[in-house]
Amino acid sequence: MDTKLGNYLDERFGWRGVWAAIFLRKIPHVNWLYTLGSATLFVATLQIVTGILLTMYYVPTPDHAYDSVTYITTQLPAGWFIRGLHHWGASAMVVLTVLHLLRVFFYGAYKYPREVTWSTGVLLLLVVVGFGFTGYLLPWDQKAFWATTVGTRIIAVAPGIGPWLLRVARGGDELSAVTLARFFGVHVWVLPAALLALLLIHMYLVIRNGISAVPERKE
Amino acid sequence: MEPSSTVDASPKEISRRQFMSAAIAAMGGLIGAALGLPAIAYIIGPALTKKTENWVRLGAVSKVETGTPTLFKTTVQRQTGWIADQQEIAVYVLTEDGQKYVAMSNICTHLGCRVRWIAEQERFFSPCHNGVFDKDGNVVSGPPPRPLDRFETKIEDGVLYIRTV
Repeated sequence: MDTKLGNYLDERFGWRGVWAAIFLRKIPHVNWLYTLGSATLFVATLQIVTGILLTMYYVPTPDHAYDSVTYITTQLPAGWFIRGLHHWGASAMVVLTVLHLLRVFFYGAYKYPREVTWSTGVLLLLVVVGFGFTGYLLPWDQKAFWATTVGTRIIAVAPGIGPWLLRVARGGDELSAVTLARFFGVHVWVLPAALLALLLIHMYLVIRNGISAVPERKE
Repeated sequence: MEPSSTVDASPKEISRRQFMSAAIAAMGGLIGAALGLPAIAYIIGPALTKKTENWVRLGAVSKVETGTPTLFKTTVQRQTGWIADQQEIAVYVLTEDGQKYVAMSNICTHLGCRVRWIAEQERFFSPCHNGVFDKDGNVVSGPPPRPLDRFETKIEDGVLYIRTV
């Protein structure tokens, strides 16, 4: 982008400064474990892209959810591929997020001045688990139905307001069309919004504070 | 190709940074293609499915009034995406002599509204943009670009069939 167009845009956007801040920042000598955050971000991007593609055909109602998923998997070109990526990517998200968290924890990288980065990271883990939990119901097959029956039932264990919270989560006493619709809404609107907001703060702080060096064995 | 007269004495060395940049760009392009190409196939997939041709039974030929378009309605079984449903087809059949039958679609050739035969005025009228057709389906006035579409017809045992696409 050393072109006229690059100069033109830089004059108006200052994109070279942004680029330098993001990609040309100084980092300490680190190891491969430091790629876990980037790996999580990469898979998250993949989940967003494949998730958007899935909503082109998926229908969140009990009478069509399973059929639309079957249609995606068996009738559409590359449908099995898109859905497969989203399915396995979901597991990868949880695994990578946890591994990333463990690296930060064992390297003590959550300490001053990075406490807020850590906090948003922990919230991001909750968001990722929320994605997994709500997404699991969407195929509306036997496994999805009973896993969510059991999963939501756990909420009822909470003292006092437990049974009421269960009704809120399910949108009624039993799993129903209402449950499927709200899980879908949470999966494609609420959680993505939370993810993007937290991710922006998380990334901003990583860039602003820099990343911590590998701790050394010395006083 | 002419042999170049001047050979660069010092071949350009690729710096570590340049190599990494190129490698990252190549891998990014590869991943983008691996996801992008299937995504395109996935999105345009439903448009690629072949239409099924079928002879559809309209009804007894004897019901067709001579000299005036007669409306036949029938339903065809259809599979759209994950839903199997019935689509209603309405066809105007015209015969002048009881020998030759013309089956015309009731879909206006302008933008797809359904035309209606008004017997008093001997015209088909489209409700949307004032498209008017005569009884043979030719455009009389309005925006339609071509006459009403016609179906291939056949008669077996006094029953009229059309071929749908």
